[in-house]
Amino acid sequence: MSVLVVAAAGVPLVTFLVLAVALWCGQGWRERVFSGLVVGSAALSGLLGVALAVVCVVDGPVLVSLGSWFSGFPVRLRADWLSVPMVVLCGLLGCLIGAFSQRYLHRDPGYRRFYLLLALFVAAVQLVVLAGTLDLLVVGWELAGLASALLIAFFHHRPGPVAGGLRAFITYRVSDIGLVGAVVAEHHGAGHTVIGLLLVWAVLGKSAQFPLGGWLPRAMEGPTPSSAICYGAISVSLGPYLLLRNGIGGPVVIAVGVVTALYATLVGRAQTDIKSSLAYASMTQIALVLVEVGLGWHVLALVHLLTHAVLRSGQILRSPSLLHDHHHLEQSLGTPVPDTGRHFERVLPTALRTWLYRFALERGYIDAFLVDRVLGTLVRAVNRAAAAEARWTHAIATDRQAVAR
Amino acid sequence: MIESLVERAAELLPQQGPLQTFVHHNTLHAFEDLPFHDAVVRAGALFGAEPFPSEQELHGYVEQGRITDADLLAVVVAQVPDDGVPVVPGGPTRREFHVARLRRLLDVPRGPALRWVVAEAGDLGPTWSALLAAAPRVVPTADPTPRPTDRVRAETGVDPDALVHPVLIRLTAAFLDQGVAYWPMPERDRGLLAAFRALYGKAGGPPDRFLRGLVATLRDQERWDAERTVAWALAELAVPEADWGEAILATLLSLRGWAGMVRQFEVRPDRAPVAAPPARLVDYLAVQLTLDVFALRHVLAEHPGRGPVVEVTARPDVELAYEAFVLAELMDVDPTPDPAAWLALVEDCDGLQRRRLLHAAYERRHRVGVLDGLAAHQRLSTSDASVVGFQAVFCIDEREESLRRHLEENTPAAQTFGFAGFFGVAMNYQGVHDVRPRPLCPVVVTPTHDVVERPVAPARGVLRRVRGGWSHHVGVGSRTLARGGVVSLALGAVGLTSLIGRCLFPRLAQRWSHRLDGPHPVTRLDIGYTVEEMAGIVGTVLRTTGVLAAPAPIVLLVGHGSSSMNNPHESAHDCGATGGGRGGPNARAFAAMANHPEVRAILGLPDDTWFVGSYHNTCDDSMTYFDEDLVPARFEVDLTRAKDSLAQACVLAAHERCRRFETAPPDLALADALAEAETHAVDLGQPRPEYGHATNAVCVVGRRSLTRGLYLDRRAFLVSYDPAADTDDALLTSLLQAVGPVCAGINLEYYFSYVDPARYGCGTKLPHNITGLLGVMDGHASDLRTGLPWQMVEIHEPVRLLLVVEATPARLAAILSANPVLARLVGNGWIQLVAWVPEDDAMFLFQDGTFQPHVPEMTEFPVVSRSVEVYAGERGHLGCAHVLAGVDLPVPILAAAQDAR
Repeated sequence: MSVLVVAAAGVPLVTFLVLAVALWCGQGWRERVFSGLVVGSAALSGLLGVALAVVCVVDGPVLVSLGSWFSGFPVRLRADWLSVPMVVLCGLLGCLIGAFSQRYLHRDPGYRRFYLLLALFVAAVQLVVLAGTLDLLVVGWELAGLASALLIAFFHHRPGPVAGGLRAFITYRVSDIGLVGAVVAEHHGAGHTVIGLLLVWAVLGKSAQFPLGGWLPRAMEGPTPSSAICYGAISVSLGPYLLLRNGIGGPVVIAVGVVTALYATLVGRAQTDIKSSLAYASMTQIALVLVEVGLGWHVLALVHLLTHAVLRSGQILRSPSLLHDHHHLEQSLGTPVPDTGRHFERVLPTALRTWLYRFALERGYIDAFLVDRVLGTLVRAVNRAAAAEARWTHAIATDRQAVAR
Repeated sequence: MIESLVERAAELLPQQGPLQTFVHHNTLHAFEDLPFHDAVVRAGALFGAEPFPSEQELHGYVEQGRITDADLLAVVVAQVPDDGVPVVPGGPTRREFHVARLRRLLDVPRGPALRWVVAEAGDLGPTWSALLAAAPRVVPTADPTPRPTDRVRAETGVDPDALVHPVLIRLTAAFLDQGVAYWPMPERDRGLLAAFRALYGKAGGPPDRFLRGLVATLRDQERWDAERTVAWALAELAVPEADWGEAILATLLSLRGWAGMVRQFEVRPDRAPVAAPPARLVDYLAVQLTLDVFALRHVLAEHPGRGPVVEVTARPDVELAYEAFVLAELMDVDPTPDPAAWLALVEDCDGLQRRRLLHAAYERRHRVGVLDGLAAHQRLSTSDASVVGFQAVFCIDEREESLRRHLEENTPAAQTFGFAGFFGVAMNYQGVHDVRPRPLCPVVVTPTHDVVERPVAPARGVLRRVRGGWSHHVGVGSRTLARGGVVSLALGAVGLTSLIGRCLFPRLAQRWSHRLDGPHPVTRLDIGYTVEEMAGIVGTVLRTTGVLAAPAPIVLLVGHGSSSMNNPHESAHDCGATGGGRGGPNARAFAAMANHPEVRAILGLPDDTWFVGSYHNTCDDSMTYFDEDLVPARFEVDLTRAKDSLAQACVLAAHERCRRFETAPPDLALADALAEAETHAVDLGQPRPEYGHATNAVCVVGRRSLTRGLYLDRRAFLVSYDPAADTDDALLTSLLQAVGPVCAGINLEYYFSYVDPARYGCGTKLPHNITGLLGVMDGHASDLRTGLPWQMVEIHEPVRLLLVVEATPARLAAILSANPVLARLVGNGWIQLVAWVPEDDAMFLFQDGTFQPHVPEMTEFPVVSRSVEVYAGERGHLGCAHVLAGVDLPVPILAAAQDAR
């Protein structure tokens, strides 16, 4: 049985390594071969997940011990009711999006790079979900973050995608403090509450929760399929999974979920481009899942996570057909598409309405607060210190020269 | 004053409207007063765009033989003056130098790289010293920057637009939004500036530090009009009044997609997909400049300027000297006797000049190939079939060329014609399911007549409406909070089925989803034309094409359009002659008019002729026929035969077209061709539903008998015109007035989107994000991208339209002199015009203001029995070939054709 678990995690990883070595050596495999390997490995990994599901139902959870890195740091994999559905989902979506992208990215100069990153992403996520210890989970978590940041910056000849990728990367690093902190705390035998709070911190960035969600709409700079798998579906779902895995819940999680849900649903309603609108919709639903996690409704949370991932990635894949669909919709209805949002006008007084609308349009001013005020203040302080140091050394240097003369 | 400056700047903004109705137009329409070569350079400087394909690409064509030595020589002889004397003793003459230079791709290092090369090389010898000493001195000049933002960026290294643009994009997108956002912008009925003031003039505003003080300013200006705000902002930005025009232009161009869209809403509110808010460009400018004022103040306060670093010392032009040095070595020339002359010669043939000449040679090879093919075809041409079984009038669109050719190839009794795809019926059309009427006619025409499609039996359609309402609720609901939760929990399984279908079995998934729509109800057109008007329309089309002289029992009118998924630019593949709409209703209306008894009586149409309207979907090569239930029984056999022939031709045309898709196997079986085409049309993951006009290059105005049986590789617009029936040139004049600008618009849009996909085109489709139901952005907040996506133009050959007209030079010259629009297009070289007199086997190219005889060069002209023999196994563009249409040969299967190669 343990073979199944190792294979489910290992197949995508080996595929990634093979492809990476091949690219490194300048192996110019044909598009179909290159992508076929990724699609095949994701499908195989998903099928192994299905097999594991059967095993789990019959025999109960499977724990695999693969020795240890060094004393006190065992390497363990775990397949149970929580990880197996995620393995299946990740394998399935990896395979479907991979097959979809064979047509979508055909003839793109970055075709092979895309599939390399997709393979890395799938491998990393399988590692996260199957990891039996927090230490091993961190490895997958970091690789998944790296792959998704690089996928955002896929079109690296334009500044926008690179800035978007960097934003995601930095947000991930900030929230990693929480995750790594939790690992350290765990090894030092800290209490469940402390670890829980640190993990919630890690989730804020990864799942784009308030107030660290600014990177999510920016992540739509990548090719549509990578947006679908990472930000519609799997990447943002890793946060709730982390909490479920470690049995974290309680008022803090609920609070994060409630605040984010309200924030994201309000902001999402003012977005005028389809991908941002879907990004905030994802954020809203993930926040709802967090509420469910916080309330201890674990099965509901898992089902919600899975169904949302499937539905949303489908919507993102379909987003370039919006004009076609809108026309089709008008024809089906036989009338113009009904107005939405009119109840805001009926319910809210004018002053509050403009204020709220501006709040939504400006995405809750989070960029202004976080980037301009918090980060900006830090940067300015550092710059001032650097300038002061320069002045000081200059003063000393001229002083010395004066003395020397 | 401000108003006129804004008006002038507006002319240079992109003229592209909302993507629902894409109308091809010359990207540089505003520059048509200039000769083509000057215009592309001028516009290139203004927009920072490329004027021609890169030298690397063009040089690749030289190496591949796509540009021949004869082309280079001919172009240089035509464009480079030469006195036959070597420029430096023992060296080449000017022309020899140019030809040799064009054959060579030289990578001359620049800037620091050059300094390093020179320093590493040590002493390069006397030639180098002489050239360096003689090199002209240059003073580095900074470009004049009328826009304060550019100046601040240069001085501080911080881009104020990085602060302004996100806010401006959000605002403008929200203002113009046609229904993506759940919550529409409040106060937008009062205009952009008023809405901006209402939103941002309230206390508790955005905490961005650069917007400090904005609330107070907006409140102070509450009663100002936009012009006054613009003047205030320009004064605040310290722009001298003389530079206002330039500054306004540069400001608007910094986000020209959005500015252009605001402008389009201002001048053509009728083209708004849903509803047009009261947009004014000057409002938009006022908002942008107000934000500019605050951004600049902020940036300058944060980063006290270093001041521009201006170098004033004149230095020798080392780059030129080095290029001259390398060339002297390569060409084995000793320039020391007159280094200045050598340098001047090298400078004369700079990068821009080389690209211009290479591009001219590239165009020349294409032109010679087509003209020689046309001429050679006449010498082989077989006579028309004596018995005409049916006639089909197609759109002039070059995509119909292959369908027409295959139809005639397969069914010798078929006769085809080309007429602009609205068939003279300029109407406001509302289909039975359409929510609002839309014009179906060329954009320059404003239709005055309405045509409405009405169901014969009262429509049920309840299921359809329920399904529409349901999908709307799910679509909107899934993006909200509570409903979204319920929807995603409840519909996860459905979502999974659809996802698997769409990703793995796109054609099946689409069929399933369409099956739910139900059949199209039986309908009739309600045609709001008088009998005289109808007779006029029908008479004009039938006379121009020549159908009226000898109508066949069945006359098909074939309108066209294109339906595809994953394609925001779907409408760009529709019929240009209907203004980016689908021409099926026009064909149907025309047939109804021509079948009208009174119309027939006026025109004297015989009773044994029946007109049938139909629609060709160019994306999946399917045919739809209208009002078949009205066809009298005596025509049924003929109609069935015609439909069978067309169905077969569609298969062959799809097969020919699929060779362009790299994903289709090179040995695609004929039986799989339609499935392959259909998959491209319905696949959500397919960025290339069809290649649209990407192959356009030629337009032939003349009798079809001249081109019947000629393989033109789907590259030629074919316009039916019979000079014998046109004694006073009235027909030809009106044809050219319509065809010239329309085909040139399509051709030039492809040219520019190809040569600079980043600035004239909208780049790769992969990250495109539909915004406001109007256009696409790259990612979440970019400028609105105009032009065509790379996936649409990637196989295009950037040549200017070659318009070949069956008329004598004298007649064409007379038409040109009487029509300033045509004269401007032709005289300034935006299209290449050729007068063709097939009786004398003579062709004349309009060049430098006169018609100059074309000298044939062709050495070989392939003759095949079927089109498939020309294209089998090929992906690239193909030359002309003579297809022995009507010769009774079995259709060769593809494998056999390949073996023969």
